[in-house]
Amino acid sequence: MSRMAAAGGLAGRVRHPQTTVRWRLTLLYGALFLVSGAVLLTVTYVLVEHAAASRPPGGLSVKSAPVQTASPPPGRVLPDRLNQALSQLPRRITQVLRSPDGQVAIRIVGAKQRLADLHQLIVESSIALAIMALISAALGWLVAGRVLRPLRTMTVAAQQISEANLHERLALEGPRDELRQLADTIDRLLARLEAAFNAQRRFVANASHELRTPLTAARALLEMVLTDPRATLETFRTTCRQVLEESEEQEQLIEALLALAQGERGIDRRASLDLSVLVAEALPAYTANAAERGLALETSLAPVRVSGDRRLVERLVANLLENALRHNVPGGRIAVRVSGRGGEGELLVANTGPAVPAEAIERLLQPFQRLGDDRVGQREGFGLGLSIVAAIAGAHDAPLHVQPGADGGLEVRVQFPVSAEQSVADGGSGERWAGEEWAQGSRVPAHAQRAVGADLQPGSDDDVDGPILTGGDPADRPLDVTGDVERAPQQR
Amino acid sequence: MRVLVVEDHPRLAATVATVLRREGMAVDVVFDGREALDRAALITYDVVVLDRDIPGVHGDEVCRSLIATGSRTGVLMLTAAGTLEDRVEGLGIGADDYLSKPFHIAELVARIRALARRSAPGLPPILAHGDLVLDSARRVVSRGGRSISLSPKEFAVLELLLSAQGAVLSTEQILQRAWDDATDPFTNTVRMTVSRLRAKLGDPPVVETVAPVGYRIGGTA
Repeated sequence: MSRMAAAGGLAGRVRHPQTTVRWRLTLLYGALFLVSGAVLLTVTYVLVEHAAASRPPGGLSVKSAPVQTASPPPGRVLPDRLNQALSQLPRRITQVLRSPDGQVAIRIVGAKQRLADLHQLIVESSIALAIMALISAALGWLVAGRVLRPLRTMTVAAQQISEANLHERLALEGPRDELRQLADTIDRLLARLEAAFNAQRRFVANASHELRTPLTAARALLEMVLTDPRATLETFRTTCRQVLEESEEQEQLIEALLALAQGERGIDRRASLDLSVLVAEALPAYTANAAERGLALETSLAPVRVSGDRRLVERLVANLLENALRHNVPGGRIAVRVSGRGGEGELLVANTGPAVPAEAIERLLQPFQRLGDDRVGQREGFGLGLSIVAAIAGAHDAPLHVQPGADGGLEVRVQFPVSAEQSVADGGSGERWAGEEWAQGSRVPAHAQRAVGADLQPGSDDDVDGPILTGGDPADRPLDVTGDVERAPQQR
Repeated sequence: MRVLVVEDHPRLAATVATVLRREGMAVDVVFDGREALDRAALITYDVVVLDRDIPGVHGDEVCRSLIATGSRTGVLMLTAAGTLEDRVEGLGIGADDYLSKPFHIAELVARIRALARRSAPGLPPILAHGDLVLDSARRVVSRGGRSISLSPKEFAVLELLLSAQGAVLSTEQILQRAWDDATDPFTNTVRMTVSRLRAKLGDPPVVETVAPVGYRIGGTA
C-alpha cells in the first residue's frame, strides 16, 4: 500500500511539467535558439547600418529642375545661396551633384527612410525569429522525447519490478550509449538483489524447517504417549527424556542462529586478544573427546595479539574445533596452529576426514548446508558451523581461506588483523610445532593451488604453507591440493 | 494398509511410525529421497508420507516420480513451509494432501486413512459383510452388535480381506500389505494371525481358506 502511494507520488511529480527533463530540454533548446537568433539579428543590424554609411550613394535621388534665373547668369548668385542652403543640410545624408549645364541634383538619402528600412528589417526578422523559436521548441520537444524514451521505458519497467518479480530485467535494447549503460547497471543491481533475496528466502525456509521439525517431533512424542492406552510410567519417562533432548537440540539451533545473526551484524566492541590464549583455553573441552575417538590433536600456538570481539572469536574457534572433531575419521588428526606474521594473526584448523570436493566448499559456507551423505539417518549438526565462522570472520575483516585437506577433511585458516599492541616484526619465528613432522613439511608448489573462489591469488611463497595434514611422511607424499576458496571480507 | 514414511528427522520418523503401527498400519521408514524411490519401486504403498526437505532427492522430485509411475499411491506431503503459496505449489506438483509442521499426530492418521480410502475407490469407511461390521476410522469391529477386540495385525488382515470384497488374497499379498520391514514375519505368521482372527470372530466362519492360494471373505455370514 505504502509502496503504491510512493509510486503514485513519484509519477505525479514526474508528470509536473516544470520538473521533467523533457520540458527543461525543450526550454533549453528554445532559449538557445532564441538567444543565438537575437545575436545574429543584432550583428546583422550593426553590419547593415555600417555598410549603409560607407556605401557609395544609391537610393533615392531628387533632381531639381534647371535653375532658371533671370538676370544674373547662372552659376554665380544662386550657387552661393544654394551652397549656403546646402551647407546647412547634414552632409552625411545629402549629396549634391552639379551638372555643367547648371542643373543641381540633390540626392537625399533621408534619415527617416533609412530608419524605416532598418526598423522593418528588425520587425520582420524578429517575427521570423519568434516563429523559428516556436518551431525549434516544438522540434526540441520531439527530439527530447525521443532521446528520453528509453528512460521512460526504464522507469515504467523499474516501477513494475517488486519483490515478487525480481527476476524481471529492464533489458534495454539499442546502441551502447549512456542510457543503455545505466539500464545494464540497474539490471546487474537487480541480479544481485535477486540473489540476495533468494539466499534470504532459502535461509528462512531452511530455518523454518530446522525449527519446526524438532517441534513437530516433540509434539508427536507427547501425543503418542498420551494416546497410548497401554503406556506405562517407563514409557512416559522415556518420552519425556526424548522431548528434553529435542528441546536441547532446539536450544542449540537457536543459539547458533543468534550467533550467525550477531556475526553478520558486525562487532560492537573490539578488544586486543591473545589468539593463542583463546585457543589454549578452548582446547581442553575437546581433548577428551578427541582422545576418545582416537584422534591425534596437535597444536602449535605462538602468542599473537589480534583485535576482535572476544565472544565472537571464541565462538569461531569453538565452531572450527567442533567441526574438525565431528567430521573426522577414526585414527585421524586435528591440527591447530596460531601464528603471527605480516600484520596478521593466523588461526589454522585442519583435520583429516571424508574427502570434501573443492566445489562444495563455497556451498558449505552457506547456512544449513552439509556435505550430503553425513545426514542420512543421523543428524550431524545443523550445517551452521562454517557459515557462522564465515560471518564472524567477515565481521572482523579477517580473510577466511577454506580448502580441502590433502587427505580429505578441511583446512581452514582465518587471518585476523593484528591489534596495535602486537609487534609484527617476528615474522612467525615464534612457531613451535608439537608434531615434528609438520615442521619439516615441504611447501605446496604455487601451481598446485587452484582457486575456485572469485579472487585467485597467485601463490607466492608467503601465501603457501606446507601441508598441514598428510598421512605418513609429508616430504615423500605427493601433494593433492585441489582447491582454495578465499573469502575476502569485502566480498561479504 | 502399507505406508512409507520419508522423513529425515529420525526421532520424528520413529514416532510417526510407532503411532501408525499402533493404528494397525504396516509402516516403513526411510530417511532420504533416493531410498524412498527405491522402496516405492519395490513395494506398492497405499500412502507415502513425504517430507519436502529431505536429503538425496528433494521431496518435490520424489513426489513427481511417484506420480509419474501412475501408481494409485496417495502422497501426503509434510513441510515446514506452511504458507498458502507453498501448499498450493505442493498440491500442484501432484501431492494428494498437504500437512504443515507442526501437526497433530491424530490429524496425520486421519488424513492417511482418508487418502488410503481414496486410493482404493468405491470402499465405504465402514466395511461390512453380513452381520460383521468394521469401522476403519474408529478402529472397531463388531459382529451382530457384539464388539470384538482385535490386535492391530488381526484388524489389518480383516480390513484387507473385507476390502477385497470376496476376492482371494494370497499369503504374500497379505504379508506385504499388513506387515512392514520392522517385523520379521515367519512364513506361518499370516496363517497364525488368520486362525486367531477366526477364533475371535466366532461362528459361523467368515474367513475361508482357499488352498493353496490364500484367503477370502466368504461363507454364509
